[in-house]
Amino acid sequence: MDGVENRVGRKTEITKLLANLPRLGVGLAYREPFRDELLQKQSEVDFLEIAADDYLDATPVLEEELELLAEHFTIVPHFMKLSLGSAEGLDEAYLEKVAALVKWLNPPWWSEHIGFTRAGKVTLAHPAPLPFTKDAVAVMKRNIITARRAIPTPLILENVCSQLVWPGTEMDEADFLNEVLGVGGCGLLLDVTNLFANAPSFGGDPAAFLERLPLDRVVQIHFSGGHESKGRFVDSRGQAVPEGVWQLLEQAVAQAPVRSICLERDDNLPPLGEVLWELERARAIGRQHRRWN
Amino acid sequence: MELAQQQKLVARLCTNREFREEFFANPAQVAAREGLTVGAEGLAELHHEHLRQFARLLRTRRLGSVGVALPLTRRVLGNRFVECFKLYALRPPPPGVERVVVDAIGFVDFLCGQVGAEVFDPAWSVSLARYEAARLEAVWLGRRLVVRWLPHRIGPLLVQLAKGKVEAGSFNRPTLAIWWRGTERGRPHHWLV
Ligand SMILES: [Fe+2]
Repeated sequence: MDGVENRVGRKTEITKLLANLPRLGVGLAYREPFRDELLQKQSEVDFLEIAADDYLDATPVLEEELELLAEHFTIVPHFMKLSLGSAEGLDEAYLEKVAALVKWLNPPWWSEHIGFTRAGKVTLAHPAPLPFTKDAVAVMKRNIITARRAIPTPLILENVCSQLVWPGTEMDEADFLNEVLGVGGCGLLLDVTNLFANAPSFGGDPAAFLERLPLDRVVQIHFSGGHESKGRFVDSRGQAVPEGVWQLLEQAVAQAPVRSICLERDDNLPPLGEVLWELERARAIGRQHRRWN
Repeated sequence: MELAQQQKLVARLCTNREFREEFFANPAQVAAREGLTVGAEGLAELHHEHLRQFARLLRTRRLGSVGVALPLTRRVLGNRFVECFKLYALRPPPPGVERVVVDAIGFVDFLCGQVGAEVFDPAWSVSLARYEAARLEAVWLGRRLVVRWLPHRIGPLLVQLAKGKVEAGSFNRPTLAIWWRGTERGRPHHWLV
């Protein structure tokens, strides 16, 4: 009984902590070619998320670039290569660098993924999903505890693209995400495009899947575009955001106490002006659901 | 621990096509050879097509980041950039590839060395690609001195590309591009001569 009470008490505590996070509004995943235009159009972008792994061991020029950006925008560091899902444990030296960068930026939160990018000598360009098992939950828990000891700033975790389904699964993805966020005491960075792309793997209804996630934990939303290839949606971040993703985004904003929404765009970057309308549309959705003014 | 072993195997299967084909032809034998008997047992049931799809997603992500690191080359080469990247990604990645800039520099080396002149249309795009790769070395990798001899007039090209339109012309006239930093923590000076 004590255990249940503890867990409920902890849950309330975490929800309260998350509710105190600032409402950042609508931002953009920073890409260097956007820099000059961003500085001219500051009022249209509420915050920037940086691909933070690229700024560890930063050269003086990059440090200056970060300083310049930090003067004008709130910066949220988004990591991929700390690899919280690695069963071989965290790379301590890497964690130290992550902690130093987070401390220097002093952001309202920092983020990583529920997946792994590092295994043996291989580093993956994008996080791979974990098997949905108790073992994997335990690995995430252990690594999250280590990371949170080194970094007091609130940590939020992102759902990854899970088209790769491991054999020997003990639960489904929604239960797995609930478990990991529960034991880790973390907020959720909900990537609605990943959810949309994963739909064929779990029966095809991302809206119903969304209902089963711990929506009270959502701090940030990622959204991006993609293209169809061989009958499947590929989250390539190189095109405009499709309507199905907008619908999911709206559903999530209506139901979850989101503090921020961030557009991810890679490859084939258009001029900034061509993506700003997507930020404006997301901002209007947040406004409509009273997430910000 | 079993999961650690499985992750090592999955990471290799996702990044090495030859290894993937070999594994699915005979999972037990390959796993035993790799000393991964415990972890690999269950993984024999992994769906070949899922792995292939995930490997494609990894390549798409690499292409996306490399395209951002070489924005002008990406824009000028268009779909040829994408098609050549697919060929490049078949090869074992260069050491340190976990850093996007290393991947981008490796890709330009591949374009200039393996693919050759036919990809560079207009011809000045070879100078553009080499210029962008050299800039990554100077700015992102922090090399003290980077020098490139480029066969085209890169200065006016950069100005015109920034305006969005390049005038017709060959831009034939060599340029020496130099980045130099006096101290380890200093700012690089840049000259186009
Ligand atoms: Fe994302």
